[in-house]
Amino acid sequence: MKGWFVLLVLAILVIIPAANYVYAAGDEPGEYLDRRVEIWNLFFRMMTVAFTIGAVVSGTIIWLILRFRESNPKAKPTPYEEAGEW
Amino acid sequence: MGQHSNWPEWIYIGVVVALLVWVGAEAWNVERIVEHIPEDAETIKVLGQQWFWTFEHEDGTTEIGQLHLEAGKAYRFEVTSKDVIHSFNIHDYVVLLDAVPGRTNIVWFSPTEAGEYDIQCREYCGLIHYNMRGKLIVEDPTA
Repeated sequence: MKGWFVLLVLAILVIIPAANYVYAAGDEPGEYLDRRVEIWNLFFRMMTVAFTIGAVVSGTIIWLILRFRESNPKAKPTPYEEAGEW
Repeated sequence: MGQHSNWPEWIYIGVVVALLVWVGAEAWNVERIVEHIPEDAETIKVLGQQWFWTFEHEDGTTEIGQLHLEAGKAYRFEVTSKDVIHSFNIHDYVVLLDAVPGRTNIVWFSPTEAGEYDIQCREYCGLIHYNMRGKLIVEDPTA
């Protein structure tokens, strides 16, 4: 836990600014581009990711609910239930 | 508790972290590309005030409520406000930047097609905000 905290602090203080500095193009002049294309393409890529994740997460939840419901023919009691521990 | 495998949780955490990193990096990269101004961009000073836009070209020409540009050229807008916060928006070219009193914000774009486009204030700025519009007229330099 402490390690994660140190890593987080280091990331905020050192790693992220260093990556920004290295990869940012600084004062070099930019090239002509169509910002509509860049921005909308970014939007569509993000939406593809968002909908894919949404489908996987909701699909997993639906499967989980159907598979582990008590009335599922494949359902069996947990070891705790079998042992009568609760 | 110690008996069962928890590798699915670790895979889940890994996938989520990887996706977040990818989303952040992708957005950062596009922002970096889009914000880079070409060297030969012409500077236009944009002043928002209740309830109209004023544009000043590099040669000192001033336009009110309309802006004439040439297709294929790059323009760098220095956007500010005289009174309250406005937002300079050319919807068709995905240009959107706040006009803040006492501060100059910068955005650039290059119009690609000749025609007329709407300029609109996108920050509620008072009674006649809805009509704080302008017209962008993009001219074909070869015509």
